[in-house]
Amino acid sequence: MRTARRPFGGFAGWAILPFAAFLAVFAVYPLAQLVRMAFSDVQLEQGLFTWSFAGVANFVRLLDDPIAVRAVVVTTIFTVSAVPASIVLGTLAAVLVDRSTLFTGLARNVILWPAVIAPVVVSLMWLLILSPNLGALNNLLATLGLPGQGWLGSPTGAMGAIIAVDVWHWTPVVFLIVYTALRGMDADVLAAARVDGASERQLLWHIVIPLLRPALVAAALIRLVMCVKAFDEVYLLTRGGPGSATTLVTLHIRNVFFDRVELGYGASYSVVIVAVVAAVLALWAAGRRWVIRANGNGVVTG
Amino acid sequence: MKRTNPLVEGLLVVFVLAMVVPIGWMVVLAFQPGRTITSPEWDFAFTLGNFAALLAPGEPFLAQLGNSLAIVAGTVILCLAVGSLAGYVLSLLRLPRALTVVLLALAAFLPLVPPMALVPGLYVTLQNLGVLGTVQGLILLNTVFQLPFSVLLMKVYFDNVPPALREAALVDGATEARVFAAVMLPLVRPGLAAVGVFTAIMAWNEFLFGLTMTSGGVTSPLTVGIASLVQQYEVAWGEMAAAGSLAAVPIILLAIVANRQIVAGLSGGAVKG
Repeated sequence: MRTARRPFGGFAGWAILPFAAFLAVFAVYPLAQLVRMAFSDVQLEQGLFTWSFAGVANFVRLLDDPIAVRAVVVTTIFTVSAVPASIVLGTLAAVLVDRSTLFTGLARNVILWPAVIAPVVVSLMWLLILSPNLGALNNLLATLGLPGQGWLGSPTGAMGAIIAVDVWHWTPVVFLIVYTALRGMDADVLAAARVDGASERQLLWHIVIPLLRPALVAAALIRLVMCVKAFDEVYLLTRGGPGSATTLVTLHIRNVFFDRVELGYGASYSVVIVAVVAAVLALWAAGRRWVIRANGNGVVTG
Repeated sequence: MKRTNPLVEGLLVVFVLAMVVPIGWMVVLAFQPGRTITSPEWDFAFTLGNFAALLAPGEPFLAQLGNSLAIVAGTVILCLAVGSLAGYVLSLLRLPRALTVVLLALAAFLPLVPPMALVPGLYVTLQNLGVLGTVQGLILLNTVFQLPFSVLLMKVYFDNVPPALREAALVDGATEARVFAAVMLPLVRPGLAAVGVFTAIMAWNEFLFGLTMTSGGVTSPLTVGIASLVQQYEVAWGEMAAAGSLAAVPIILLAIVANRQIVAGLSGGAVKG
């Protein structure tokens, strides 16, 4: 007790130091550099950066960049398609595994596999399937006597493909969260409802899904963040193409920073994206606090 | 009690096949010679030639494999050390409230930001530290992006340790450092296992920093090497499939063996936090 009461210092001080130092050097400092870069004109000459203050010029340019604006739209389309699809499929898988009598153990393990495989390998795997000339899918269509498709070659095909691959890759995470919540559910509640004569369908809509709501909200938030961060799979599958049809925000930042080497401009775009993420997070936290206060308890947890 | 419902079992089989078939197809192609891969018929043969070509002297694959293993080892060690210390302090010891709030806010913020948005700033940071393009630099970046998860998961495990244990050990004359190392760490072994397995997978799979912070070739991790095979399109399909299988199959085996740790890792932040 004596040491716990002692003012900051001693063991607690040096034990927290590595974590604090990591955050300071690799989160706070890079963020500061990013902001500084966004307000600068940065030139890379012989491996050295030269910085000159540019005011808000980089941010003004953003408004005139059609791809920068389009990337936000593309990211939004990608997110609002992939998140609900993986929530529905992940929940369905969780319910099926919970109800199954034959394959529970096997399926619970296998359904997690996609989530542990490297995104790079997942893209490669789907290229082997979707490639127009040698891919398994067109080969299968040919065997069935159907015409092959371009898949990644057309704008809608490419968008559909990256959404499908993302859903395949990350549905396991939703499955796991919902399945854990399902197993944690009080069996007595369900038994009581059955005794009261509730049908299986009523049970699902009026008891199971409301009880799963916190898990579903958590899964949706996690998937939302994952979709905004998505880069690896799309970079390898489509390079953002054809044209800029699948150029997500993250891909556009890479293009500006590494292909066009417009460091200040790329940084200003990054700053806007980080600010939007921070604003959404703050709004959500404020909203959640408001809901909890309104309910008078902590039932609504994310 | 539960009756077998054919519809449930049938749909579940469809789910399992949808997960397994794409992975299995890659593994099958890894053992195919170019002749059967380019054939429009469903021909199959068996060869180890793709693996031999990948591992041939002069190919960067082995160096990249070594880089990835070093990155995994460094990241896991740092995450375990820093994560368990910080998780312990945040759970059982006292810090100034302002410091706790700042640390937790940063730890909550970092996983939400697209890493790509931080790349310009991180690039400058690594350059200033003189570790740009090195394995050490990638270990540091992997660690910082896995630390929020590691610290919070360790905190959850320390939260379940009764505080009376620490007080009893202190009364017996142990120092704080000794209480942590001899009493507390053994109690949170499952947490250490979960953090270790999960950060290992994440570091093994990492691509974005490897791509942006190294100059490719023998300096890059395995994932970047695999991506450079993909760029050559259909020329090296067998090698591509072989490289992908070498990266994915050990992780899937790990997922089977260490299922409990992976479940804790994948759902840690969401279900428990």
